[in-house]
Amino acid sequence: MSNTLIVRSSLSLSFWIGASIIFLVVLMALLSLLWTPYDAVNLVDVGARLQAPSWQHLLGTDYLGRDVLSQVMVGARTSISVAIVAILLGVGIGVPLGLLAAARGGFIDQCVMRANDLIFAFPALILAILFTAWLGPGAINAIVAIGIFNIPVFARLARGPALSLWSREFVLAARAAGKNKFRISAEHILPNIANLLVVNATIQFSLAIIAEAGLSYLGLGAQAPTPSWGRMLAESQTMISFAPWLAFFPGGAIFLTVFGLNLLGDGLRDYFDPKQARSQS
Amino acid sequence: MVYKLWTKLLRGQLLLLLLTALLSAGFVGQVFASNILTVGIQLEPPNLDPTQGAAAAVDEVVYANLFEGLTSITADGSVTPKLAKRWEIFENGRRYRFFLQDNVRFHDGSAFTAEDVKFSLERAAAADSVNAQKSLFEPIENIEVVSPTIVDISLSHAVGSFLTHLAWGDAVIVAPETAASNATTPVGTGPFMFSRWRKGVSIDLLLNPSYWGAASNTNEHNLDGLSFRIVPDPTAAFASLLAGEIDGFPAYPAPENLEQFRRHADFNVLVGTSEGETILAINNAAPPLNDIRVRRALNYAIDKQAIINGAMFGYGQPIGSHFPPHHASYLDLSNRYAHDVVKAKNLLVQAGYAQGLELSLKLPPPSYARRSGEIIAAQLNAIGVQVNIENLEWAQWLNQVFTNKNFELTLVSHTEPLDLDIYARDNYYFGYDDAEYKKLIAKLSVTNDLQERDGLFKRAQRKLSEDAVNVFLFQSPKMGVWAKGIEGVWVNSPVQANDVTAVQRYHSSNQLSNELDSGSSKSVVAPFVASLLGLSFLLVVAYLAYRAGANFVFRRLATLVITMAVATMVIFTLVEIAPGDPAEFMMGLNAEPEALSALRTEMGLDKSVLHRYFSWVGGALRGDFGTSFTYQSSVAQLISERLQVSLPLAIYALTLALLIAIPVGIIAARHRASVVGGAIMSGTQLGIAIPNFWLAILLVLGFASGLRWFPVGGFPGWQAGILPGLYALTLPAIALAVPQAAILVRVVRSALLDTLNEDYIRTARAKGLSQDEALKYHALRNAAIPVLTILGLQFSFLLAGGIIVENVFYLPGLGRLVFQAILQRDLIVVESVVLVLAFATVLVAFLVDLTYAAVDPRLRSRRVV
Repeated sequence: MSNTLIVRSSLSLSFWIGASIIFLVVLMALLSLLWTPYDAVNLVDVGARLQAPSWQHLLGTDYLGRDVLSQVMVGARTSISVAIVAILLGVGIGVPLGLLAAARGGFIDQCVMRANDLIFAFPALILAILFTAWLGPGAINAIVAIGIFNIPVFARLARGPALSLWSREFVLAARAAGKNKFRISAEHILPNIANLLVVNATIQFSLAIIAEAGLSYLGLGAQAPTPSWGRMLAESQTMISFAPWLAFFPGGAIFLTVFGLNLLGDGLRDYFDPKQARSQS
Repeated sequence: MVYKLWTKLLRGQLLLLLLTALLSAGFVGQVFASNILTVGIQLEPPNLDPTQGAAAAVDEVVYANLFEGLTSITADGSVTPKLAKRWEIFENGRRYRFFLQDNVRFHDGSAFTAEDVKFSLERAAAADSVNAQKSLFEPIENIEVVSPTIVDISLSHAVGSFLTHLAWGDAVIVAPETAASNATTPVGTGPFMFSRWRKGVSIDLLLNPSYWGAASNTNEHNLDGLSFRIVPDPTAAFASLLAGEIDGFPAYPAPENLEQFRRHADFNVLVGTSEGETILAINNAAPPLNDIRVRRALNYAIDKQAIINGAMFGYGQPIGSHFPPHHASYLDLSNRYAHDVVKAKNLLVQAGYAQGLELSLKLPPPSYARRSGEIIAAQLNAIGVQVNIENLEWAQWLNQVFTNKNFELTLVSHTEPLDLDIYARDNYYFGYDDAEYKKLIAKLSVTNDLQERDGLFKRAQRKLSEDAVNVFLFQSPKMGVWAKGIEGVWVNSPVQANDVTAVQRYHSSNQLSNELDSGSSKSVVAPFVASLLGLSFLLVVAYLAYRAGANFVFRRLATLVITMAVATMVIFTLVEIAPGDPAEFMMGLNAEPEALSALRTEMGLDKSVLHRYFSWVGGALRGDFGTSFTYQSSVAQLISERLQVSLPLAIYALTLALLIAIPVGIIAARHRASVVGGAIMSGTQLGIAIPNFWLAILLVLGFASGLRWFPVGGFPGWQAGILPGLYALTLPAIALAVPQAAILVRVVRSALLDTLNEDYIRTARAKGLSQDEALKYHALRNAAIPVLTILGLQFSFLLAGGIIVENVFYLPGLGRLVFQAILQRDLIVVESVVLVLAFATVLVAFLVDLTYAAVDPRLRSRRVV
């Protein structure tokens, strides 16, 4: 019981671990824009194919002799950019919708919330596959497919707390001062739910990374020759018995990124809401 | 109460499983009387009539096995008598007299006579013929029936390889009465006859008991039937062979696994030659590739051996023209454009592309194409050509590249034997139009003298190479992988066919017998268990409903109905607005407009949107979801077949997750302040972060291909017994269970901690109960509600979310069904599966609510969300 009673005012260990992992992953992705040990796409060196990890190739080489580390680095870029844009799509459309629902109530609120319930009744992955298969496989369509499911998530996230904020004194004061609902939502409600949104965006971000990997595993994400973690996993599958590193590292990269994001999310939640941390962490 | 209830339930289920496992143990070793050869093929044929359309996949199933011609091609490529037992040649090869076998019957019982020969060949040569090799029959001037067993064929000019042409799949003999329906229910004279075609799954043939040829069923090792299994995915091919689900692949799609199979005690690897020239095809008709300097630059830029090593793992022989190296008239031109980056760059400069250029490369699905494509992109990049790869499905490839010639570069294997003539065709997709070459081919077709033909063959090869029409990469190997005990399969592939008429299949101990007709030997245990489980489930629901009260049940049911009604509209709209005409997609290349509209009528696509919506919903209410476009069988049946895998898998995974999560969650709650609790919580973070398909691959690596405790994949079917079924589902269930268990541990723990903060626990503690006692008597029960909520969500997630894991393990579950249906634009299957899944989600939510209400009387009076 003792440690749960400590109210955390500083960032927790899990935040720091998560933040360092994510920092490294993002650094790796950014670095890949400028430099990779080898050309991840065009350096096909069949003579050096399927080499186990060594000092020359830290994570080994694939069946075309391409450096796995370089591909994992560029793959980070693919995964992160797809996930970020998908989340931005969810936040950009979902949060205004949620704020609108909270501000106006009534019919609009009902519509938003019922549409929400409905989307949750559908298997998200299957609908994402449906979208990408029919729009055509590729990174952009993967973003759309993943982003769509984040809209209701963020709409719901924004609506609940916004609704309770509308009955608070400072909002009433703002209304009394003659500000319209749009301005109140933007100037008073949004800043007050920002923490919550950041925490959940982190969590959703990790789900989007998994979704992107799943779609590219099925061949519906970023297309060859653009390296992507999911596709690397799919390609490695017939070779795992003699080249296990091909499956190990891209999967490990997905795992680490998701792990880091979850820790980061938990850490942020503890920081923003120490009261809840008592029972959750 | 709830806690007790579901621990009881859980115990009951385990007991049942144990019981059935014992019962079924006796059924595992069933001996099947029938000897069915299961053959894996990568491409599903669009139809089963070899006399219409060009798809090699048709011949690969029916040639020699189901349909026969007057002559046939043997394993060594020579021509041998078949339906014609002998022949005489007159007038310097302008007239042939064929003496026919006289005791031949078609599979429908009708007799084979000279009239059938006349009908078949005239049909193939007719003006409105849809035969893909119509030109082979053009020299035929007249066919005369001399007697029922003698037929004379006169030619307008002598044709050197006429007897070979008659051996092609396009020249098989069909009966006039059944010719029109051969596409779906083929009737031939061969040793196997058509049994059924499960689209996307298999094509099954049964032994023809009254076959005219050598009485084949003389010993027990001869085949009773043939089942061609469609396995498009290399990973699945690997898994299905190791699982013993498939006896062999005549053309194994993943060369990287050959070495493993070679070392494996249970398999034979047969690498032979094929007629497939794999080429980087170039659109010669459009700039910049109509410039020979650019085409030659591409030729110099490409290192063929690197492609063979990288994409084919060393299997394949470099070629320099469109001609197989194992042919006597082969001219080795493979070094005509020896890899030379400098020369390539210079040629580009001469052609005015000093700054380089950008080209698109459209790739069909096979892995040889996708892999070679990546190497080619890299090699061309080295000479300043930026290649943009576009991956296409076959239907898209046929439409965009082959039919509409909307491409710059593509990569494909041409598997027809001696097909130099395609370069002389007008409007062929290469866009190569050369008068001199056309003359060569015209001359070749009327030349009989072997030496002269040899010279012409060589000149044609050289011409194609000099003009750099395409980049000729390598002759594809024929890579056969067969289980030990299968004897008599062809090593080489002189025709596009899998002639298995001489195959003998010896039962090997580790192979699970494959049952062609699963109905006949289905064990009675599985349905019995299923109905028992179903019944107990219904009883529980009835009990819960009784406890919850009619008022609550009806109110909640009404919500359920409304949600489902809206769901049907959303699903229907989603599928309706999706791009892509399913009829066009199914007809594939060269679809006639009339045929298309007929198919649209058949599929009901010409009806109004409202009409289709209501007939779909109306049908669904009666349990009739309609008929699948591609599988041609009832969607309800398809779904129930697949649910037999997905439902047990979801339950299995959830059971495992619960078995892990409850004790671990309790420990974590009890030791929340200590190192143990901290370690558990860190562990759950790891578990949640593991993508289940990566875990699946790692499990395969460790326990299937490493330790060999479990199969790599595949599912033997419940008819093989409950235990083998559960055994096959174990690794997939673990892969699905671990992340769910990690989530559950956290839920169990926090639910327990929440209840521990409640007043009644404090009261209990104040009264002197120890923390453990308080946990045991009070907290556990009350913590069950949030756990149950999450459990319900997880069940719905697992039912649909196993899709990728099903792919990893090659399980015939609901996920794979819907994935394939989406790719094949099988709208009705997609709609129905999504509806079923949505229904499952809503239903589970309903049941969870029902349980709450049954347990907690406070909830009965108000709406629960």
